[in-house]
Amino acid sequence: MSYREPLPGGCPPAEAEEITAEREVFRLVSANPAGLDDFRSQRAERPEAVFRGVSVHAERMASEKMRKLPRFKNSLVCRVRLLNGAGRIQQTFQPPHHTWWPLAAFDILSHCEVLA
Amino acid sequence: MKMIRHSTTLYYYDGPQVFEARDAIGGHYIAVMVEPDGGKEQFLVAGVEPERLRQFRMGTLDLRSLLVERGEPEWFLALPDGDLDAPLSLQPQASPLASFAHLPEPGFLLHDRPTMAEALREARARNNLVMEVAVEPPEAAAEHRIRMVTLAGLLTHLQTMVKHAYGVALRELSLDTRRSIDRSDAHLLDVVIPAAPGSFRVVLEASKLPDMLGQSEMARALQRIDALFDNVGDPQKTLAMVKTHRGHLAGAYLRMLCFLVQSRSGLRYSWAEPNFQEPRARAVTEAEAGPLVDLLSGVSNLGAENVTLVGALERADVVSGAWRLATQEGDYSGKTKEGGPSLAGLKLGNTYRFTCLEEIEETQGGREQRTLYLTDHEPV
Repeated sequence: MSYREPLPGGCPPAEAEEITAEREVFRLVSANPAGLDDFRSQRAERPEAVFRGVSVHAERMASEKMRKLPRFKNSLVCRVRLLNGAGRIQQTFQPPHHTWWPLAAFDILSHCEVLA
Repeated sequence: MKMIRHSTTLYYYDGPQVFEARDAIGGHYIAVMVEPDGGKEQFLVAGVEPERLRQFRMGTLDLRSLLVERGEPEWFLALPDGDLDAPLSLQPQASPLASFAHLPEPGFLLHDRPTMAEALREARARNNLVMEVAVEPPEAAAEHRIRMVTLAGLLTHLQTMVKHAYGVALRELSLDTRRSIDRSDAHLLDVVIPAAPGSFRVVLEASKLPDMLGQSEMARALQRIDALFDNVGDPQKTLAMVKTHRGHLAGAYLRMLCFLVQSRSGLRYSWAEPNFQEPRARAVTEAEAGPLVDLLSGVSNLGAENVTLVGALERADVVSGAWRLATQEGDYSGKTKEGGPSLAGLKLGNTYRFTCLEEIEETQGGREQRTLYLTDHEPV
């Protein structure tokens, strides 16, 4: 089982849940259609475990709210259907923020739909 | 050039988007990620008044207003050199902040749902885990007053219970997870409001700030304590729960209940982390505490924990039963247990495995006194 980005030991954390049942999450992307670069950990170069994951929201409204921040003003909200084999996920920081560690074999782009 | 240091992340998404920082003389700053400059992350930084920053943390002031409606026109841009732990140098900007093209839109609140609950309000304002504790001893009935010994006892028993609850929570984690946690001072609570108005209430804050995930280690302990207070109206259910925590946490819980009975007081508490929607609250009345004390006091060795030590025997007094073992973690002393094995035949300097029961007794000053009672030994 390999992850999309190389992960240090102890990452994802033991508390992270393995995705086995379908669920929806939301992520801000730069264009429609979304590209794989939109799902790259922004902190891939950092050693800390959490930064090797991808930020997603469990509620669409939280992603909409993010667009009020200057960095995400021109971003679009994308819905991603996570299925068995999508990787591991953990609620981190302010709910409904989650960190998702995608598995390399999970085809992200075929499971995402840009909403706005 | 002005320098600041990141103090706490307030909003995270693929990295800190909004964070708080301090300068060398304690001035407060807010930093917001804007468009990158030459591929490098860039932050808008502005000094903010502590009270307005508190309002922003509580979710009653939006980010744009915090930045734009200030008495101070000075603002900066900053380009961190990769690591936010390092000091960040600020580049002063000449144009008015209000005309900057990359301001946040109006309406970005840190918390969308305001709260009236004090524990949650304080948790948000302090950006840390907060616990509110209330007792109702007889002296507090008529006025805002509490005996010194009652207040001291409450705080001591609470801190002890939290310490042991944290120990239990840690033991349930994998070794890898335990190693990844910075546990120093994670079980300590600070009094931040010593006598809040109302019934006699004390507000406490975790001594340690949340980790980089925004989560407080203290929460692990308080979740365990919540479980002990879940069914205080049903002594048998409580007994079953306490038995699952048999050991020092169970002992500390029983001592807290005894203290409440002696003080003729109930106990209410609530706690919250900044990101909670509602605080978590539990309570036990004086009338509920009595039957719990009666039931739990009858359980033998409820507060004792099994401890195994391996080391060289340094002292063995067959008559008094006193012994000392030098282990890799340090020296441990104890006694033989009545009806247990004696020290006769053991040789000083040889290595043994001692199986012991560790019991904690409370001294008159409320301190814990630990004693190790030998229940088995074997040569190694």
